[in-house]
Amino acid sequence: MITFRNLKSMALLFAVILCASLLSLQPSRAQDLSAVEKIYADLAKLPQDERMKRIEEGARREGKFTLAHTLRGDLGNGHIDLFRKRYPFLKVEATSDIGSQDAAERLYAEETSGRHLTDVIGISVADGVEILRKNYVARYPTPAAAKINANLRKANDPDGRWLLFFWSEHAMSYNSNMVPADKAPKDWFDLCNPFFKGNVSFDPAEVRFITGIYNIMGEEKAIKWFECIGANNPIIQRGHTQRIELMLAGDHMVQGDNYLYHGLSMKRKNPSAPYAIVLDTPIIAGMGASFVNRNAPNPHAAALWMEWSVTDESQSYLSAQLRGPVTLPHPYLPDTVKLVENIDPPKEVADRLMAAWMKLVEKKR
Amino acid sequence: MPVTEKKPGVEPVHEGRALMGFRVDWRSIALGLLVIGLAYQVIIPFLMIIWTSLKTTRPGESDFLTLSITFANYTRAFGSSGFWSTSWNTLSFATCSTLVAFLVGAFIAWVVERTDTPLARLIGMILVGRIIIPGVLITISWILIASPNIGILNQFLNQTFGVRNFFNIYSFWGMVWVQAIEMVPLTYLLLSASFKAMDPRLEEASTMTGAGNWRTLRRISLPLILPAALAALMLLFVTAIETFEVPLLMGGRAGVRVFSTEIFFNTSRTPVDWGLSSTYSVAMLALCVALLFVYFRLVRHSERYRTVTGKDFRPRRIELGRWRYLTCTLALLIVFLITLVPLLMMIYASLLPFYQAPSRVAFESMSLANYTSLLSASSTITPMINSTIIGVFTATLVVLVVSLIAYFVHKTEIPGRKLLDYLGFAPIAIPSVILGATFLWFYLLTPVPIIGTLTIISLAYLTKYLPFALRFVSNSMMQIHPELDEAAQVAGVPWWRNFFMVTLPLLKPGLLAAWFWVMVHAYRELTVALMLARSQNRTAAVLILDFWEQGSFLKLSAFGVLMFALIIVLVSISHWISRRCGIQEQY
Repeated sequence: MITFRNLKSMALLFAVILCASLLSLQPSRAQDLSAVEKIYADLAKLPQDERMKRIEEGARREGKFTLAHTLRGDLGNGHIDLFRKRYPFLKVEATSDIGSQDAAERLYAEETSGRHLTDVIGISVADGVEILRKNYVARYPTPAAAKINANLRKANDPDGRWLLFFWSEHAMSYNSNMVPADKAPKDWFDLCNPFFKGNVSFDPAEVRFITGIYNIMGEEKAIKWFECIGANNPIIQRGHTQRIELMLAGDHMVQGDNYLYHGLSMKRKNPSAPYAIVLDTPIIAGMGASFVNRNAPNPHAAALWMEWSVTDESQSYLSAQLRGPVTLPHPYLPDTVKLVENIDPPKEVADRLMAAWMKLVEKKR
Repeated sequence: MPVTEKKPGVEPVHEGRALMGFRVDWRSIALGLLVIGLAYQVIIPFLMIIWTSLKTTRPGESDFLTLSITFANYTRAFGSSGFWSTSWNTLSFATCSTLVAFLVGAFIAWVVERTDTPLARLIGMILVGRIIIPGVLITISWILIASPNIGILNQFLNQTFGVRNFFNIYSFWGMVWVQAIEMVPLTYLLLSASFKAMDPRLEEASTMTGAGNWRTLRRISLPLILPAALAALMLLFVTAIETFEVPLLMGGRAGVRVFSTEIFFNTSRTPVDWGLSSTYSVAMLALCVALLFVYFRLVRHSERYRTVTGKDFRPRRIELGRWRYLTCTLALLIVFLITLVPLLMMIYASLLPFYQAPSRVAFESMSLANYTSLLSASSTITPMINSTIIGVFTATLVVLVVSLIAYFVHKTEIPGRKLLDYLGFAPIAIPSVILGATFLWFYLLTPVPIIGTLTIISLAYLTKYLPFALRFVSNSMMQIHPELDEAAQVAGVPWWRNFFMVTLPLLKPGLLAAWFWVMVHAYRELTVALMLARSQNRTAAVLILDFWEQGSFLKLSAFGVLMFALIIVLVSISHWISRRCGIQEQY
């Protein structure tokens, strides 16, 4: 008769066996030559019509496409639905519920463990650092990159590792019922005005915004700005859209940092919403792009997405949803507005900026 | 079947049945499977977490699996003054929330189960209904109710009495209030199950000797529910430490930073700081193990708490006389604040085209547009079906597993059985984001094809909800006198039949409470589902996050109301089924 007389010994033995098993697991190594990149390199040699024909034929053979699309909710679902309608022969498995960093992390996890599950991720360029470093991204040369607006083209990767398809802005906005016109902020340093004490909100320690301020002002001035913001008793609260809703309901006066499209979307539904945006000062542009997995299981379907993402159909949809298209004029930002692209600074600079924000703005040591 | 002489409360040794020349002991097989299951579901995540805390490289890097370890993460965590201030905040927040939740929940449980307060059953039902509403909705509702400038309460006070900003939900005590009312139903469920199973003869004996109601309560009733009370305090404390929504939505503005938000922010950066996050998890694990050790020391004489015997009984209801109207009023006020106020806020917001304070204009603009939009979207229905499947399946599996754990821990003398309880409880220390990441990494690395299925989410939930369900069922198991088991064994009933036909029915209050708790939380759980969700296995909680991230608080409120209605239906069906299957109220 088998009896377990000593549970502790059993558990210990099992744990040792398990550890040994886990330690013996080795993630599969990345291939030196990506078959997907070979396909794209061959496609790049063809005339455009022939190229698109081959892509579509290949996508039909593959029959499916897996995408992590970080434009969320109705926006992302609507965008994907348009793609589905355009290419009904493709079974599109799309996730549009996760954030940009999470999508990048997911691709990283999948590829590291040798599981090639995702074809394309649509994320912020700034969040692609790790997957680029690990060479998990395919080079996708395409003439479609020439469609991108001249002022944004330099943000596109010349090696084709990503293709821009939308961009978002971080900027200031305010409740026009609470802020008289003569007090309205026109510059980032206007937020240090005692009039706004306790009335300017930010998300907690958002790296993209902090590095964006660095790109606008440089490190020294950025830290001075953190200092005067911190002295003005800022509101630190999680949730971009929640903060806008609270501001418009009268909770506080100014969004020190937020996306403009959400407030404008609310104003579109409710014209009396007291939402005003600040365009006199440089605003931070965060680029959104598609990255193809270097080991994409459906490379032709992935290519079809890349090409479609910069078509008029795709870009018009994004523009109608008040997101920044890359091939069409912006739906609400004038050409005169100064955009500063959000480029990652060196790591030690980023660490200093983050520490300064935590100490000066969030008052944490 | 020979039964050897044994000590009271101890399972006799069965010889088992012969099967193909081997003796098959069903109890041993069940125990073996339980150990293997727990090791798989609990030890593996913990090994990965501890391992990650000892590495500065991330999972997947080439030297992550080498034997070189470092304590750099611990130095970073414990060496920063921020860690200690965060620890102080976390402990203060958890302690205060726990005490408030316990006192309120215990009062309601006592009122409902042990007194002749009118409307007791209604009070209990309304309170339990509160569990269904997702935490993020409750938090946002209270922000809209009591925030300084736009809170409805403050606006009312300002317009009526000229008092400005009397309430400030963005404060330490505001956070304590919202967290405490979030946890009151857990206290209620834990204690009410124990109150229901109390044999009144001990109390009757006390009153017969001249002790009044109050003395009987202090000297007899309260000590008898000590295991349940301690379990509640422990679970509440750890829940408050691990909680996420309140600190995330309110803590920044209140200037209160806690462990769970530190872990969240560390895992939200690029690159993710898994090492530091895992280190925080290990710190939480150490705290939970210490709490569990204290708990076991305090309830080591479990035979003193046995109240369910072979004799039938009905719980005694204390007659309060005129005081019952006061208890009724107080209890109704409490459940009104806890459940109905946020529910009413949700219903109100769900009918608006955009959020605005109550006014004639606001009421005139109300419509069902948010509901229509939700129900007409195909992207809403499938997640709700997925959540229903996951909720029901996970709850049933969890309840079965914890029943076995509680049985072996409290009804046998197997050496090392306490380890089962530790293993079952330990996952409470794993923050949801770490648990989700651990399961994702594990199933990416192993050739088990469940990525993107409902199974992987269910398995993660099995680990996550074991601790809570275990405390529900353990408390009830402790109350069962061994004479019932012994009677079945003397009659020659096989172990497995005894377990399913005698033990499980006697556990009904704890089982139902555990099942309900797990089902509802599996339905509304967000973080794990988000990390493991793909297009095929999206859950209702992922929709909640979608709406929240889009700022669609109004649609979120509509979704919350729909969830509430759906889960009420599910729970009613489960009650109907349990009655049809003969799991009747014994007393």
